[in-house]
Amino acid sequence: MATGRYTSDLDTGDVLGPVEFALSTFVVREYCHGNEMHHTWFQETDRPMVPPTLVHLQKLRLYTHSCPAGTGPTARVHVEYDATCHEAVFAGQPLRATGRVAQRYEKRGRTYVQIEIDLRAAEDDRPLITYRDTVIISYKPAGAETVA
Amino acid sequence: MSAAQPAERLQPGTELRAPPRRMTRERMRWYVDLLPTVEADDGRVHHDVPTIHDDDDFARSQGLPGIIADGMLSTNWLLSLLMDAFGENALSPGSLRTRYIAPVFEDVVITAVARVASVTEAPAGGLRYALELWCEDAEGRKLTVGDASVQADEPVSARARMPRFLIGARGAA
Repeated sequence: MATGRYTSDLDTGDVLGPVEFALSTFVVREYCHGNEMHHTWFQETDRPMVPPTLVHLQKLRLYTHSCPAGTGPTARVHVEYDATCHEAVFAGQPLRATGRVAQRYEKRGRTYVQIEIDLRAAEDDRPLITYRDTVIISYKPAGAETVA
Repeated sequence: MSAAQPAERLQPGTELRAPPRRMTRERMRWYVDLLPTVEADDGRVHHDVPTIHDDDDFARSQGLPGIIADGMLSTNWLLSLLMDAFGENALSPGSLRTRYIAPVFEDVVITAVARVASVTEAPAGGLRYALELWCEDAEGRKLTVGDASVQADEPVSARARMPRFLIGARGAA
């Protein structure tokens, strides 16, 4: 069990959360504005749809909950976003997110951590988004694979 | 037109391309500030500690030549293309996967592209498209790759022709 320390310590099988929350119209619109997604269903309604990519930032909420010491000595680098969306999510909707470290492994001299985030409706536990996030915990040492 | 029976079926190989956008320092910073802003969710914009996406010195300390864009920017530009083309229900349900195979440095011009891999009748009506996705630079080099499964219950070509402004005169005869 590596929770309770740095996010860079997370290991296979660790569970993060669950955390319950709702996303305000403010952060949904800010997120869409910052990504230049000016669609009417995001910006021009009192109950904006949450872009499914916003599930990625719930990882930070889980990190704060389960790894209060912070990031660790190096910056994470995101490698892959992989989300299955079961139904639309809306601002103000009560949500529950749970994370689980699916894998921690070494490849070409770098450490990869893969976290599965299960986002559900808090009211009845129905699945909304199933997300698999893959990061390397440090860009160093230099290797063959480049990332963004 | 019935929402369940779009009259149009894009053929495999058809490409949808977003307008090119330059990955400016400002665009990278906008995303960086979203991280603490979304987490705080208190009605104010928050600023992050230095990151590899907005601080050259910090990026170099991490072994990078300079700042790089957060990969989620590319993912969101692809999502934006999908929603422009297929509408708000494109991913409800659906899937989107992106893998960042090369860094996006400052001022690189990015084009988000979706290519139809296959199209099938959706069980609930409408069409379901399997798409190959990528973001390419001005030389056509792929920096982000991925795939998506989306539903379409309206013709895509109508959306592609949708004007971004209207011209006319109120009350004109």
